Amino acid sequence: MRRSRGWERSGRLVVGLALALLVGYPLVRLVLAAFADGPEPVLATFERSGIARAVGNTVWTSAAVTAAAVALGTAGALTIERGAVPARRWLRAGLLLPLLVPPFVAALGWTAGYGPGGVLDDAVGVAVPQLYGPVGVITVITVNAVPLAYLIVAGALRGRAEPDLERAARVSGASVRTALWTITLPLLRPALGASAVVVFVFSVNSFGVPAVLGTPAGFETMTTVIYQNLAFAADPDAFTRVLVLAVALVLVAVGAVAVSDAVAAGGRVRRTGGPAGTTSAHVTTQGRWAAAVAWGYVGATSLVPLVALVLLALTRAVGLPPAPRYWTLQNFADAVDGRTLSSLGHSLLLAAVAATLLVCLGGLVAALERSPAARRLGTLATMTFALPGSALAVAVLLAYGSVLADTLAIILVAYLGKLWALGHRPLAAAVDRLPGDVHRAARASGAGPATTLITVVAPLLSPALAAGWVLVFLFAFHELTMSALLYGPGTATLGVAVLNLQQLGDTPATAALAILLTAGVLVGAAPLLVFRGTWSRLRRVD
Amino acid sequence: MGTDSVLACTGLTVGYAQTPILHHLDVHIEHDESVAVLGPSGSGKTTLLQTVAGFLVPWEGEIRIVGTLVASPTKVAPPERRSLGVVFQHYALWPHLSALDNVAYPIRRRGAATERARGEAGELLDLMGIGALGDRRPDELSGGQQQRVGLARALARRPDVYLFDEPTAHLDAPLRGALQEELAERRRQTGAGALYATHDAVEALAVADRVVLLRDGRVVQSGAPVEVYEQPVDLWAARLTGAASVLPTEALASMGQALETDPDGHAQVLIRPEWAALPGPLPGLVTQVWYRGAHTDYRLQTPAGDVVVRRAGGPCARVGERPGWALHRCWPV
Repeated sequence: MRRSRGWERSGRLVVGLALALLVGYPLVRLVLAAFADGPEPVLATFERSGIARAVGNTVWTSAAVTAAAVALGTAGALTIERGAVPARRWLRAGLLLPLLVPPFVAALGWTAGYGPGGVLDDAVGVAVPQLYGPVGVITVITVNAVPLAYLIVAGALRGRAEPDLERAARVSGASVRTALWTITLPLLRPALGASAVVVFVFSVNSFGVPAVLGTPAGFETMTTVIYQNLAFAADPDAFTRVLVLAVALVLVAVGAVAVSDAVAAGGRVRRTGGPAGTTSAHVTTQGRWAAAVAWGYVGATSLVPLVALVLLALTRAVGLPPAPRYWTLQNFADAVDGRTLSSLGHSLLLAAVAATLLVCLGGLVAALERSPAARRLGTLATMTFALPGSALAVAVLLAYGSVLADTLAIILVAYLGKLWALGHRPLAAAVDRLPGDVHRAARASGAGPATTLITVVAPLLSPALAAGWVLVFLFAFHELTMSALLYGPGTATLGVAVLNLQQLGDTPATAALAILLTAGVLVGAAPLLVFRGTWSRLRRVD
Repeated sequence: MGTDSVLACTGLTVGYAQTPILHHLDVHIEHDESVAVLGPSGSGKTTLLQTVAGFLVPWEGEIRIVGTLVASPTKVAPPERRSLGVVFQHYALWPHLSALDNVAYPIRRRGAATERARGEAGELLDLMGIGALGDRRPDELSGGQQQRVGLARALARRPDVYLFDEPTAHLDAPLRGALQEELAERRRQTGAGALYATHDAVEALAVADRVVLLRDGRVVQSGAPVEVYEQPVDLWAARLTGAASVLPTEALASMGQALETDPDGHAQVLIRPEWAALPGPLPGLVTQVWYRGAHTDYRLQTPAGDVVVRRAGGPCARVGERPGWALHRCWPV
């Protein structure tokens, strides 16, 4: 093994220290605090208060979300990536749209579109039954989770279950259905497992949707109970309940990841040969029907709620039909006062600082990842994304609350710990895809190390750097789960401002602010799509 | 077109989106015949195979397999209803199945029970000389072994027509020869036809009873390998099928070479390297020498232009020498 150079050792030290301070130490503090008086009080708290029910609610809704989102995401990926559908690119963008809509905004949109007194109720007198309660919570989280499953399964369809493998089954005498069951789905199994874990953890972590759709109906999940107890409860046991729930939340999320890792370990298969065929570009009648169904889904789950929210924000008062003669911009004016503007400033500042710091850290980890020790650090950094935001926020509060309570800094610490993976993954992937010899070729062509970095490596990695920055920025910009627990007087974020407005019952103003927030995200996401194009133009030649 | 065609593509026009790739293509394969479709990349070889296999629908024309209509603009039989065995360019072995189960797959689809299918698949692997490797996954096999599995899988289908997409492009030369023999042997036993798509002239000329030259989705020439090699219809066909020197007829005649009069009045002649010899009466300066083991190629600069001459054995002239050369035959183009 080669000796590591000085900068590599200090780099590893920096990364390890950052990970320990941002995540390790707070988690240790959390566990110590929960078990400060031994396990009995924990178990007692668990049994006495309604915590067990909240845990049960979280687990069963998440299981339902996982089943539905993986099924829908897989069906979508098979239809769009493999089917003979028209306008594939647009359909893909439509299905991924929920990624750009903050989950609690989506929940507000659903209430505006399908809730009692919503657009659909006004128009035809139909409201989705039990939108408030488990049905609504499961439905809206599922809609938000489908893109995650889609992305993972579509990636596997491209990389593992390539078109020629299906064609080989067809010419071997298998019908479409048999080929799906005997070839495509078995090849997708690792991806299905991975997407199930990602969706499950996403659902366990979600706070905005149950806060908007569950709490009003008395349907509590672990994250909403933590929020209720930390933000509103006055009794002395409240904080114990928060600690117990936070630990339980970590256990559920980490448990899901561990189980899937154990299951997935046996199922890996390696493909052979060169690239096996491309999806054909022709469109069939069947493909048109499939596309129509997919567009129907996108319209009903994403477009209708968003449009309903816009109409609600434009309409003068609750109860009036959303007709042009009742339209006004007053709600936007109401929503944008000094306080929301300062919360907008906080969100922008936090997002920009978090994105910049994490891209630097991610770049450092990616640069170090050629050594095994740093590779483990990278894996750890990626796993922090599975940590439930509510639990991490409580842990950070325990660790640094005495010094940083009610400052933006404590929110920043939580963001850094939680979103590290988002800044790191695109870079790590880009470094992996970097052809091994490009920097050697530059050196052999007469460039020194610095010149090589500037002229060859940096241009190749810059799209990934930009992608990582934008990803962290977007997630931090519309973050609600952690900032709802950590904000203090004068440090509210934009997400918190929307939640507070909603809890005050000012529905049109809430809608207006939610629309502004989403518009900001959509504008912010534009460069991501542009850089995506740049990246695909830099495809490597073999 | 004989009534004995195992595969008959008539007036086939196929394309993607609005762009046609194949234009009114006619390709027929008789009982027990093997046909190589030779063309550069982008000429439409893969499109032709995909249409025959049933993954693309023809815009015009029809495809019949042993007389049964399988594809026309209005009627399309799905791939699994066509009597075809396909060997894919990169084998397309299923990575989650063992070699044995890969080969057993088509037999299972015919309705055979698992055990019987595996038994039959084992015999096919034995035939390919890799009977001992049945338990291995594709990623545990070498490139040549993977291809044998791919071939066994196509054989297991017991089809009337075999389709080969660049069948041996990724194998080294000795393995290529062995595999081509096995292929031809098996096919002859069943009387099935074979359609090879390849860009490799040496391979096309060696494996096929007939070679079809494809350019931009149109047939440029079709004939026995010797015919397309020795009597190419134009310069493009000549260059596609092997090494070729082209000299102006007039300049060659003025060097003192007697030439038959060409009724079509072509201004140039094609000279394959082995149609000329060293030494000889015609003037020429050696500018390059390539020793290739069994023979040596010499590039000669002549008053009529450059010509490549082949001679058995090691180098007999060096760069800068003027051994002189002779012309045995040529073909007007």
